Amino acid sequence: MPPTPLTGPPTIQIRKLTAETVDFVLGNTDLGVANALRRSMISEVPTLAIDKVEFEENTTVLADEFLAHRLGLIPIVCAGVAGMNYNQDCTCDEYCDQCAVVFDLDVRCDTAGDTVNVTSRQLIPRTNLAQSVQSADFDDGILLVKLRKGQHIKLKAIAMKGTGKEHAKWSPVAAVGFEYDPNNRLKHLEYWMEETEDEWPKSQNANEEQEGGQSAEMTDGPNGMAGQGPLDNEPHTFYFDVESVGNVPPEEIFLSAMRVLSDKCITAGSALDGQGAGMGAFL
Amino acid sequence: MSLQEPDKVVAVPELEGLKIEMLAAGGGRGMDPTAVTFCLFEEDHTLGNVLRWILMKNPEVEFCGYSVPDPFEAKVHLRVQTSEKTTAVEALHTGLDQLMEVCDTVKDKFQEEVKAERYEVYEEDP
Repeated sequence: MPPTPLTGPPTIQIRKLTAETVDFVLGNTDLGVANALRRSMISEVPTLAIDKVEFEENTTVLADEFLAHRLGLIPIVCAGVAGMNYNQDCTCDEYCDQCAVVFDLDVRCDTAGDTVNVTSRQLIPRTNLAQSVQSADFDDGILLVKLRKGQHIKLKAIAMKGTGKEHAKWSPVAAVGFEYDPNNRLKHLEYWMEETEDEWPKSQNANEEQEGGQSAEMTDGPNGMAGQGPLDNEPHTFYFDVESVGNVPPEEIFLSAMRVLSDKCITAGSALDGQGAGMGAFL
Repeated sequence: MSLQEPDKVVAVPELEGLKIEMLAAGGGRGMDPTAVTFCLFEEDHTLGNVLRWILMKNPEVEFCGYSVPDPFEAKVHLRVQTSEKTTAVEALHTGLDQLMEVCDTVKDKFQEEVKAERYEVYEEDP
């Protein structure tokens, strides 16, 4: 059955916005659009992450590749990511200011009987355009490795632009909460229960749906099935809760994801035109 | 219904950054502009699924389905069958335009909402 055409444009209602999360309700759209938005926020928003590490000295207990992996997972705050090139598209030989941000780390422990913590705070960027994530002044940074006397770590870490599609370290979100039809009126889920329905507590979003078990989106069904669900049996309201890892503000994650999607449409559209040019007979 | 395996790939000139290819299923029966399988490169369910939703809303589109033939290949096959009034290429174009409009609308609405400050704001306790 083809989906019923929705009337009017999609709606957005922001319920909560903090430095790290945004909670909003997307209405009057289809599952496809909501899911594209969710997927796009997770894996297509460009961010910066350490991608190459050049070790000069590493006498710590952790192996080079172990540390390189830990470094990669540190969120890097950079306001100018949009203007940067992807390393693979850049015209430079290895990396340059257009496609990379270089960090230095040089820590040594000289005191006997004491351990020195090496954290993300000790990563010194060579430009002031980027830095490792720091949620507050009292934030000690992310622990990388602990040093005993005589141990020394010295390295150059190169952060590059990428997306979560390639590696999760580039994903700007820790999690994207996604829910529709919290009262399960569309029966898309079947809850197995031992005895009572209380075993499945309702989510907070159930309060958003209208009293009496009928949400605003629900239309009266045929044959006196009022309030049973929309005629096309499809969800039209989606509850999102986006948690940023701290490198991109949550509202920017949303906008960037939307931009990526509409850019995809433009490139696909022009690719289709280019395709059509060689296909005169076909068309 | 599973998508028909295309048996003939239409020869196209090499284009820089080519993202779409048409796969014509029909063999000797000739090519039908109202029934085309598109192959979108470097794309996944993100675009495939949403395009399917949007295209199905077009009353001239009789069938639209998508598949990712192999999870290890970044490819999406999109099958579009339309009525005689239009062509599959045209339908896809309309779909892409509509999707872009949806994205832009949602983006604008979100920005308006951020400015309107009707939401709850709180700072986490240290």
